Amino acid sequence: MKKIIMLLFSCFSSVLLGQQKALMPHSIDRNPQTSGDRFYLQQQGETVALQGNELSDAYDTSQPRDVLISTKGGVEVTTNDGEFSFQLGGRVLIDAAVYSEDKNTLGNGSELRDIRFDLEGRFYADFIYEMSIDFSDGEADIKDAWFAYDANYPWRYTIGHFKEPFSLEEMTSKKYLTFMERALPNTMVPGRSLGFGMNWIGGQTTFTAGLFGDDYNDDADDEGDEGDEGDEGWGATGRLTYAPLADERSVIHLGLAASYRKLDDEQEFRFDSRPESHLTDIRYLDTGKLNMSDSLTLFGLEGAWVSGSVSFQGEWIQALLLRDEHENPSFSGWYLQGSWFLTGESRHYKQRSGRFGRVRPLNDYGAVELAARYSTLDLNVAGIEGGSSDNITLGINWHLNPQIRLMVNYIIVENDIFADADGDVIGEDEPALIQFRAQADF
Amino acid sequence: MLLLLTLGCSLAALQAHASSKDPETLVIGKISHNPKKHYQYLKPMVKYAVERMHDLGIRKGKIRMARSKKQLADMVRRGEVDWVTETPIAAAYLHEKSGAEVLLRKWKKGVPDYHSVFFSLKQSNINKLEDLRGKVIALEDPASTSAFYLPVNAMLEKGLRLIKLRSIREKPPADRIGFVFAREEINIATLVDKGIVDAGAFSNLDWGKEDHLPSKYRTNFSIFLRTPPIIRAVEMVRQDIDPAIRKRLEEILLHAGNDPHAVSVLHAYQQTKKFDKLSRDQIDSIYNLRHIMDLVDQVL
Repeated sequence: MKKIIMLLFSCFSSVLLGQQKALMPHSIDRNPQTSGDRFYLQQQGETVALQGNELSDAYDTSQPRDVLISTKGGVEVTTNDGEFSFQLGGRVLIDAAVYSEDKNTLGNGSELRDIRFDLEGRFYADFIYEMSIDFSDGEADIKDAWFAYDANYPWRYTIGHFKEPFSLEEMTSKKYLTFMERALPNTMVPGRSLGFGMNWIGGQTTFTAGLFGDDYNDDADDEGDEGDEGDEGWGATGRLTYAPLADERSVIHLGLAASYRKLDDEQEFRFDSRPESHLTDIRYLDTGKLNMSDSLTLFGLEGAWVSGSVSFQGEWIQALLLRDEHENPSFSGWYLQGSWFLTGESRHYKQRSGRFGRVRPLNDYGAVELAARYSTLDLNVAGIEGGSSDNITLGINWHLNPQIRLMVNYIIVENDIFADADGDVIGEDEPALIQFRAQADF
Repeated sequence: MLLLLTLGCSLAALQAHASSKDPETLVIGKISHNPKKHYQYLKPMVKYAVERMHDLGIRKGKIRMARSKKQLADMVRRGEVDWVTETPIAAAYLHEKSGAEVLLRKWKKGVPDYHSVFFSLKQSNINKLEDLRGKVIALEDPASTSAFYLPVNAMLEKGLRLIKLRSIREKPPADRIGFVFAREEINIATLVDKGIVDAGAFSNLDWGKEDHLPSKYRTNFSIFLRTPPIIRAVEMVRQDIDPAIRKRLEEILLHAGNDPHAVSVLHAYQQTKKFDKLSRDQIDSIYNLRHIMDLVDQVL
């Protein structure tokens, strides 16, 4: 599989190099005199000349092109033909949680949930890139790091470290989730991996698929028996979405996804999950290490309905683990959530990517959203006592403006007797918790 | 510091090459203050067209965005832009300044035409344009067709005199209608709803959009006048473009509405439903908007 990925990589590189070569004569045909460049500050719809010559009737397009600079807190720079651009942004998510403990100590506290810089852009018209790094743990943690060939609309080809296309909730940025954390079944979702992907955009349909290795920081040397050079795992994942209705305030979203993963040579697999709160380190649900695991196959169904200020969203995910000399367990979980904007807004659906985006308040005082969710995950299968848990969440979101949001989630956790963090805590724990988030992105 | 360094490096990297028009390249142009966004709209369409012109020697597509209609007219006049997608008001200007000609109507956002609506609070006793004398109306900005040119023209046609106010708190003379620019439709609606201004005007399409006019405002408003409809958007070509390319472009666009391969392209192209031909009278009515522009621009 490594060879396949390497081959794809070299093919992709050839395409890129070919394009680059074709573009180079174009790119070096530049007037070295830059004093004629014009820079504009564009803010809240207003353009102000910063420096450079005034435009005249005899605007000379043989001169270097205009560059527009705009900001909504971050920085966006674009040439006026759109062929070169970059945007520097970021996010700050600050959390606090208070636990009403039952049998185990969960640990009240606060944390930096996300401190991230995002850089994205376009160059030579046909190439786009994104890099985002999270510093919330005090160390640099690479999130997205990819570039893509974007010349064959409606197709796009991407290589790098990015999310495997699986689950509406996973594909929606954390910045735009209705709740502070994703639902319990999200622990089965692949997340980010290093790989090659392609996506296609139709009028009402999107299709995304890719071949992936492991996460970027998995080292193949660590796999296999001691002293042996083991192979990383690899996977193939695809997602199809269909939105027969995607108006400004009315949305019907349907989606399905599948993923196959050949596990690495270590052949150990584990599902574990916190309650829907990141502050505690206790992962009640834990299958423990399942050795002699060969492959994991995932299926996912997703749906969402938006009608004005009201929306519903749900997903079901199943994971089938194939093991040598053991029974093959099949885990599953689902969630259903609803939200209502008291202030009249509507959840913003992005049809081109089949996911939800930023909420824009209609009022000076912002948007207020009430939400509720039920989620469940069962890891008690085929003799594996990973535990089962149900979480009920009630949430209030106050979107002060499109880029600042305050969130409160109250969560009731119900665990079964096997939800004991693989024996590390007492099972059948039923705590409740309230958690808060202050979020800004720019 | 890191941000400044990144900005500096990137600005240097963004100093781009000059683009000379070569005969193998089809160039589409548009007025834009958001090139990044419009680039994504335009790129699929120009690619779609170029792929169907290879036999005419067209190999590449390119996008040029101007910050003003004047700049775009210069590009067209110099032969650097072949094809333009714009509003009728901009089309009238481009025709006069560069000779560009209307090719087809664009059903932008799925509609063939639109009009402006004048609205005020239900209890305001404003029932006709003449009732606005001595009052203030909020408009969007001086470039807007439906929230500036059409409403102002409607008022001028009634023989009303307008005055641009420096602030929303300023009051006009009793014999004139004061107007202010609110920049966005939602601001117009808010100013009217709060009673800060007496009336507002924007397109009938915005009247139905919740993010431009929330229903809680809409229920408080009544429309007291609708302007005659105007064509939503048009495609234009350079006057001296190769006739074979012009003819092919027209064929491609007319066919796009029925082409399954164009579904996503049209969707990206500002959710265009299709393109259709306009009669000579309709085209002339677009070119005649130039007179409206001259008239309306005088009030600024």
